[in-house]
Amino acid sequence: MPQTLSTREANLFRTVIRYYEDKQYKRGLKAAEQILKRNPKHGDTMSMKALILNAQGKTEEAFALAKEALTIDMKSYICWHVYGILYRTNKNFDEAIKAYKFALKLEPDSHQIQRDLAVLQIQMRDYQGYIQSRLAMLKARPQLRQNWTALAIAYHLDGNLRQAENILTTYEKSVTTTPLRTDFENSEALLYKNTIIAEMGDIERALEHLETDCKNCLDRLAVMELRARYLAQLGRKQEAAKAYRALLDRNPEHPEYYKGLINSLGIPAVAEAAQKAVYDEVPGDFFRSTAKEYLTLMFDKGVPSTFANVKHLYSDASKKDILPALAREYLEELRGGSVARDQANGDSSKGEGAALYFLAQHYDYYLSRDLARAMEYVEKAIELDPKSVDFHMTRARIFKHQGEIARAAEAMDHARSLDTKDRYINSKAAKYQLRNNENEKALATMGLFTRAETVGGPLADLVDMQCVWFLTEDGEAWQRRGNLGLALKRYHTVFNIFDTWQEDQFDFHSFSLRKGQIRAYIDLIRWEDRLREHPFYFRAALNAVNLYLSMHDKPQNGTNGVEAGQANGEDAAERKKAAKKAKKEAQKAEREAAEKAAKQDPNKAGAQKGKDGEEAKKKDEDPNGVKLAATTDPLGDAMKFLWPLLQFSPRNIEGQFAGFEVFVRRKKYLLALRCLKAAVAIDRGHTRVLEQAARLRKVLDGAMDSLAPKVKGVIETELAEVPGA
Amino acid sequence: MDIRLLRPSDIPLIQHANLENLPENYFLKYYLYHALSWPQLSFVAVDVSRPPKTPYDYPKIVGYVLAKMEEEPADGVQHGHITSLSVMRTHRRLGIAEKLMRQSQLAMVETFGAHYVSLHVRVSNKAAIHLYRDTLGFKTEKTESKYYADGEDAYCMKLDLGFIREQLREEADAENDGADDEDAAAAGR
Amino acid sequence: TTGDVEDEVQPTAKSAEDRKAAAALSKLDAHGDDETAPAREVDQEAVKNAMSALGDGAVKKEVKKAVKVDAADVNLLVDELELPKAKATELLKAHDGDAVKAMRAYLQPDF
Repeated sequence: MPQTLSTREANLFRTVIRYYEDKQYKRGLKAAEQILKRNPKHGDTMSMKALILNAQGKTEEAFALAKEALTIDMKSYICWHVYGILYRTNKNFDEAIKAYKFALKLEPDSHQIQRDLAVLQIQMRDYQGYIQSRLAMLKARPQLRQNWTALAIAYHLDGNLRQAENILTTYEKSVTTTPLRTDFENSEALLYKNTIIAEMGDIERALEHLETDCKNCLDRLAVMELRARYLAQLGRKQEAAKAYRALLDRNPEHPEYYKGLINSLGIPAVAEAAQKAVYDEVPGDFFRSTAKEYLTLMFDKGVPSTFANVKHLYSDASKKDILPALAREYLEELRGGSVARDQANGDSSKGEGAALYFLAQHYDYYLSRDLARAMEYVEKAIELDPKSVDFHMTRARIFKHQGEIARAAEAMDHARSLDTKDRYINSKAAKYQLRNNENEKALATMGLFTRAETVGGPLADLVDMQCVWFLTEDGEAWQRRGNLGLALKRYHTVFNIFDTWQEDQFDFHSFSLRKGQIRAYIDLIRWEDRLREHPFYFRAALNAVNLYLSMHDKPQNGTNGVEAGQANGEDAAERKKAAKKAKKEAQKAEREAAEKAAKQDPNKAGAQKGKDGEEAKKKDEDPNGVKLAATTDPLGDAMKFLWPLLQFSPRNIEGQFAGFEVFVRRKKYLLALRCLKAAVAIDRGHTRVLEQAARLRKVLDGAMDSLAPKVKGVIETELAEVPGA
Repeated sequence: MDIRLLRPSDIPLIQHANLENLPENYFLKYYLYHALSWPQLSFVAVDVSRPPKTPYDYPKIVGYVLAKMEEEPADGVQHGHITSLSVMRTHRRLGIAEKLMRQSQLAMVETFGAHYVSLHVRVSNKAAIHLYRDTLGFKTEKTESKYYADGEDAYCMKLDLGFIREQLREEADAENDGADDEDAAAAGR
Repeated sequence: TTGDVEDEVQPTAKSAEDRKAAAALSKLDAHGDDETAPAREVDQEAVKNAMSALGDGAVKKEVKKAVKVDAADVNLLVDELELPKAKATELLKAHDGDAVKAMRAYLQPDF
């Protein structure tokens, strides 16, 4: 039987809750202990204690206690709610939903439990469940607009646009006071409804609604853009053109407005070259004189980004020739003294230097590449201005394109030394060091700008700050050096960062309703749904899959994978050295972590951690990836990286190739065939498609008899359609 | 160059640009907080020159302004604040930062009725100070000592947005006049 | 004693910049704000009518054909395609319980 508390203890119990909500965990624990002393079997108090322990990072203890509390008091909604929260914070969302549902059954009127459940449902994209929850919440408080909006969102995301619109309209009709013009929530709700109408394809009505109901909406740009788009879609060209002109007045730097204008002006869509000419505002012969004027001005001013600003014109062959010719002309005129210029006086990055620099970039650019000439020009520029960061930076890039990785790294580091306060050049120097496999040096370079006070040094800061590019490049460099553990470690860290990014949406399910910015919220949800299609994910994940493949093919016998591989002389020595070093680093990191843990109060993790800040940072048990590299099932480990690749970037052929390799080794022939068929659909003639097809055929010839008859049948018909198989 | 509103899907590359350029970095969630609280105020500059390499390429962000409204203004006056602004070194001195700022300032007034916009800048950052003071018209309010983690001081700068309010009023008036004329013409028929 | 709780003062971030970010993020999950949100006057009668029109929100599920699915086929799909059991069952049902059809369909590129 659950115990009941005295009045005094019941009051104390409420303070426990308050302490927990204020993140005053020690005080909360103390108060809980006080209650438990007299009532050791009070389930609710035990649960609250478990919740606090969990917040302090003592997950296992918390779960054990919460379970015990539940066995004592199965009928307590608090116990079930806490159980759900524990699961939620430990990311077991399915179990959390179950626990919340139990809690809600026991306490159907609990607003808090209902909301917690709803948030989890939308996080898990359980739209049906979310609709039910939001409906219950609306019924409980129909006077709150956000409850109506939330239900509309639920229907909208579930694809029921008509019902979503109905809900919004119903609320509008039930309001008896006229909203203020500055009522942001109202303004945004109207625009939200407008986008739903348009999404249904009823553009006519969307336009009408926009021009009446949304006329005074506070997001003026959105109103203008939607109006222009609707007019264009409805073929009302003159009005559309006018609307696009107004948008261009406001922001002439948005090419989409030009496209809109051109289309509404009736310039035939087929004449793409003409479109481009209008967009670039320099048609035909006019281009040469305009460009000359522009380049002269920019060179005189010494704007280093001139090339970056015109390189988009290079897709047009004639412009690609005119631009460098103009730069050379400029130089000749300078030398011939036919034009007197004094701007360059005292600043050699202007005038001649700027033109030389332009030409260096021209010959370095992939569409007009001549690296020897690029180098010539950049060196001339450097002669004029030996202290220019930009010149030296380009010199480094030219080396890189020449394949001179070491010299490139050296040159970039020199550029960095010329302006040590600029993080951009610092980042580039570190990147080039990584390309040259100098991980330690690169980290030291990065350390010039990371937070000095971060425990764990620059790397910890970069991980904290989700610096994906560095982690990926660092992993690739370790991989080239044969340190598989550290390489895997970095790729896993990137994987975890994406997990964090996915979880970041959690708070916004309720926050956005409070803020009323519904369209932005819908954008967020739709983006999060395809988060892992991002090239940042793809690159790290593909690296990881390929690395696991090579580990499978060449099983490691030493730790960290560093003793494996070909044992040819230097390479082996280098690997051995790296192994030793990694071991030392691991020991050092472990020592440091232990010291740090000893010093740290669990309540005092980094403040910039936001809401998780209070949760003690879990100690990294494998800072150097030794355990990762020691896996006995590399192909199994690869799967966690591989599934999202195939799911979110199916049209990227490299992912399909990698998928084939993994599945064929795991003898999952249907799945291998699925990857192969996808690759065929992307690029039938690709040599690797043919190679993989032939290989699959060969493997299957020997394995057909071991397959289930139905599988065999499927493979026979499907493989026959694959070229080369 | 393409200058347009920030979208949630831009954020990883905005964060990337920030990490590459500036010592003040933030979690992705902090960018989301801006994008979902004041989606009208933040803008990006996109390099449109490179053709996509895969169907999943994201637009390359070469500059951004991350802006917000002050949630609880100490002076009780609605105003905007620039959280972060940067342009890649390869694209500097093209006026991108100015264009980003102007878009943001306009929206601050239109959508949220901002009276002024404030920001912090490192006292050593000459280029940025030049942009804010000379190009955009900001005034230095005060110096905040040791504002940055490395101990550097910040200038707290402010720009009165009255000129944009004025401009919007004039536009509205002109529009109303136009409408009145039409009405008059209709009545006179 | 209560002396040992002194150290529970919220840790402060190193710089003003950090403090701002931390403060903003810590408020994101603030609960209870919606309870105090200003509610506009709504016509209770209209709301009540609207609510009853909404019904219980249960979407009329399309009547699904009763498709018999062989447990052995489900297991085959789970094993060969590495699908979760529920997904495998769904896939089979969508193809009238025909495992060969289901597998063939699953092999086709869906982009």
